[in-house]
Amino acid sequence: MSSSEVISHEDARELLPWLVNESLADEERDLVNQHARNCVICRRELEELERLHESIATVGDASPVPAPDLRRINARIDAMMAKEHRGRLLISRLREIVGSPLRLAFAMQTALLVVLGAALFWPQAEQAEFTTLTVPEQLPDGQYIRVVFDPNLDSSEWSGLLDGMSLTIVDGPSDRGVATLRIAASASGTNPDTVITNLLSNPGVLFAVPVRIEQQ
Amino acid sequence: MTRKKAGNPATGPASADEQALLDAVKHRDRRAFTQLYHLYHARLHGYLRRVLANAAIAEEVLDDVMLVVWKDARKFRGDAAISSWIFGIAYRKAMTAARKEGRYQSLLDRSADADTMPAASSQDDGLIRAALQALSPDHRQVVELTYYCGFSYREIAEIAECPVNTVKTRMFHARRRLKFLLPALDGTDKENKREQL
Repeated sequence: MSSSEVISHEDARELLPWLVNESLADEERDLVNQHARNCVICRRELEELERLHESIATVGDASPVPAPDLRRINARIDAMMAKEHRGRLLISRLREIVGSPLRLAFAMQTALLVVLGAALFWPQAEQAEFTTLTVPEQLPDGQYIRVVFDPNLDSSEWSGLLDGMSLTIVDGPSDRGVATLRIAASASGTNPDTVITNLLSNPGVLFAVPVRIEQQ
Repeated sequence: MTRKKAGNPATGPASADEQALLDAVKHRDRRAFTQLYHLYHARLHGYLRRVLANAAIAEEVLDDVMLVVWKDARKFRGDAAISSWIFGIAYRKAMTAARKEGRYQSLLDRSADADTMPAASSQDDGLIRAALQALSPDHRQVVELTYYCGFSYREIAEIAECPVNTVKTRMFHARRRLKFLLPALDGTDKENKREQL
């Protein structure tokens, strides 16, 4: 905006408050002043604004300004800086730990080795001892079957049950009701599976499996 | 044309040391911060005391403003004057505080704070305070920043973070309202206008 320019009435009128508070740039101030000299409306408004400015700027001036007291704000800044310091400390420790990619890789490898070592040398829980009914104990040569009788049968009942089947009880029944039966030598040609099928057809026999004797 | 200058109590004289102080504050220099606080205390206090309800709130907001100056000093890039930046923070803090209170009123018109308020020096003073209080917060801020603080309309636009034309428009409406509310300015019947306040 050069001083040769002319400002419109509306523009000049808008700027009057800042002409009054003397904050307009030099060229702007000259233009508004030039307009106000020739404009009755702006001149009158300028006088009103000067009175308003003086009134507003001085109203309440009797209010005393207290002396600056930095105690509260210093306490807040101290608290804020302590918090920042804690944050920085944590970050620097993390940086120390994983300062370089090489160090990070080394740390991860070490951790992995520790885990693997622990898994390797950790004392194993002892395996529970158990046997299946098909596992032979110390039995002489022959064909054997293990059976579980109905617990409601007494010994005479299941002895009678075996009589007609060329089976002899060689062991048992144990606490769990398991008995080991030997297929009579006279019936050596008998297939154990057939004997088992016959046994299981009787409701007094709950379970029957052949004893597998592995060849030495 | 001669005009009576009322001065710029809020902006004060431009200090060559302000930039140096702020630069030191950026590097967490507490002594520089104390000096900056002292430099702005009276100006900020005067402004906040005018636009907030009571002295305690004004003091609290002043501390809030300076705490932001401490925290955000590094963010100041020098696009605006330091005073505009600091008053911009004060402007927003004051607006927030005023909204929180659910009112926006002059400290001088609160009977509850009568003990901390300066006494009205004249009947016209009371009328001016009432008129200022009757303005909307946005309009009131533009008036105070112009007539009490002495900022230019461009600086006010920076402070209020709004376009220059918005500042001019707000001032236009504020002037029209004040003209209506303050009969002494145009010489019309004072008693009639006072009844309408």
